[in-house]
Amino acid sequence: MSQSEIQFTFDDKTISALSGQSVGAALLAANQRSLRKTRFNKDKRGIFCGIGVCFDCLVVVDGITNQRACIIEAKPGMKVQTQDGSNA
Amino acid sequence: MHNVVIVGGGPAGLSAALAAAAAGAPVLLIDSNSRLGGQYWRNSVDELENQNEQHFDLATGLLLINAVKARKEIEVWSEAQIWSATNDEGKNTLRVIHQGKEKIVNTANLILCTGAYDRTLPFPGWDIPGVMTPGGVQSLLKGHGVLAGKQVVVAGTGPFLLPVAAGVIKAGGEVVSLIEANKSRRWVSSFIVILENLSKIKEAFYYIKTISRGKVRAQFGYAVIAAHAADNGELESVDIAKINRNFKVKKVKNIKCDVAAIGWGFTADTSLAGSLGCKQVVAKDESVVVWVDSEQQTNIPGVFAAGEITGIGGSDLSMAEGVIAGIAAAKFVGCKVDISKAHRKRRAKRQRFANALIKAYPIKTGWQLWPNDQTTICRCEEVSLGDLKFSVEELGATDSRTAKLFTRCGMGLCQGRICGRSVVDLVAKELNVLPTDIDRISAVNRPIITPIPLGVLAQGE
Ligand SMILES: Cc1cc2nc3c(=O)[nH]c(=O)nc-3n(C[C@H](O)[C@H](O)[C@H](O)COP(=O)(O)OP(=O)(O)OC[C@H]3O[C@@H](n4cnc5c(N)ncnc54)[C@H](O)[C@@H]3O)c2cc1C
Ligand code: FES
Repeated sequence: MSQSEIQFTFDDKTISALSGQSVGAALLAANQRSLRKTRFNKDKRGIFCGIGVCFDCLVVVDGITNQRACIIEAKPGMKVQTQDGSNA
Repeated sequence: MHNVVIVGGGPAGLSAALAAAAAGAPVLLIDSNSRLGGQYWRNSVDELENQNEQHFDLATGLLLINAVKARKEIEVWSEAQIWSATNDEGKNTLRVIHQGKEKIVNTANLILCTGAYDRTLPFPGWDIPGVMTPGGVQSLLKGHGVLAGKQVVVAGTGPFLLPVAAGVIKAGGEVVSLIEANKSRRWVSSFIVILENLSKIKEAFYYIKTISRGKVRAQFGYAVIAAHAADNGELESVDIAKINRNFKVKKVKNIKCDVAAIGWGFTADTSLAGSLGCKQVVAKDESVVVWVDSEQQTNIPGVFAAGEITGIGGSDLSMAEGVIAGIAAAKFVGCKVDISKAHRKRRAKRQRFANALIKAYPIKTGWQLWPNDQTTICRCEEVSLGDLKFSVEELGATDSRTAKLFTRCGMGLCQGRICGRSVVDLVAKELNVLPTDIDRISAVNRPIITPIPLGVLAQGE
């Protein structure tokens, strides 16, 4: 099956994804392993459970915080950002 | 009007839907994924058919998924997440976010097939990007066609490590080490169980063939006990320890890798069942599961459960339980059907295999010595082992529930799904007692099944 390729941005980088792929999978394929910084210790975190259970892969998508990169589908023109802290 | 509402589109839910529909009951199948198949038959952005290479038992999955889609009696809601559920005198009310909108489903007849997720254990560095669960690596590969890393360590315990290692090799990655904590091949000695479940053994050999082609060194009696980050804060290497039978560390060496996939079996996701008030019990592997009778009915009449949430046992057992739950639920709404002896026998046979596996892959308490005071235990709220100890020693916490209130351990967005089980064990160790069933069951008590974005509720029906 031929799959269309789409593009979205992560911070200031352009990332390619296959349609249907999750934001997290596309970012990992682009070797982007860190997705957020924790609130208190400012530690880097990335995909851990990969199935929407752990809430460690949180990113900001089109201005909305706390989106799980591993389950949210990449859409053309999406503006994805590193989440810094706040996850209330 | 749907007679039977099923939650979960994995092996158990699909089997239950087909059995109930075949008995003449209209079914509503609710699943949070975008495609049916659950955790096992996870299909890629590619058509499922193209994933043959990744998958052993794909034909069964395709058969079930296509049959469910073809049956007019079954309505499917995909991308539908139940976020809250209540039971009020026999009436179950489910609040579902379906394609961005809230819908309310009322039903007297429910089959819960919400499955399981990887069990993890905390150790220094387990929160570094690059440390993942085997299920995570598997779902990235099967569901999204992405190989998580180039040099992968696969570790932990249980038969599930095999398909994950095989998957990485097939996708062109290197498995730098395949590490199984348990040495015992105790189940090999229970000859009858093996003869009864030959297809499972065939599956294991299928993976082992792939793994040996990749020239992977499998090590038994070892575990990953620490992970280290490079200057950029991402995974660079792990410490692998030779461990004794109780998981106590004997000798340590360091190896380089960019991904470490570490899993310790599975934990049932009983949140939905718990919200409804279904009775939960502690299983032999110390996981909390939903109690069911021989017809897969919970203590609430009309509410059934099947698959991993009634006990970790793999996809074959999940299917056998799903069929029985589907028939029992159809019978409950008045369809003239009965559970046959053959159905019960099949379930019993697979249950024996599951029991043998649980015995062969125990998790021993020595792991509780792997974390140090700085090690993060609750990843969401950044609570360390030192914080937990402080709550016991200085603040006087007398069980895991009070320790949780003092530290916020397990009160973040994942609601203790990741750390809950470990916290119960670690606090009990600090108190020098054994965890009680009440400790374990209260650790999975979640008033909200999953946090939902504000604003969605405003758009509800
Ligand atoms: C990531 C992962 C990969 C696995 N891979 C394998 C494998 O390769 N081989 C193997 O033998 N076993 C594998 N397993 C073990 C697996 O759990 C079982 O073999 C099998 O999938 C269990 O079937 P089930 O029907 O009980 O649950 P699942 O297959 O887990 O299905 C449960 C379904 O319920 C849905 N759900 C849960 N809660 C809700 C809710 N509140 N609202 C709506 N929907 C909900 C989930 O999205 C999911 O689709 C894997 C497990 C995990 C976690
Ligand atoms: S990686 Fe666990 S929720 Fe996304």
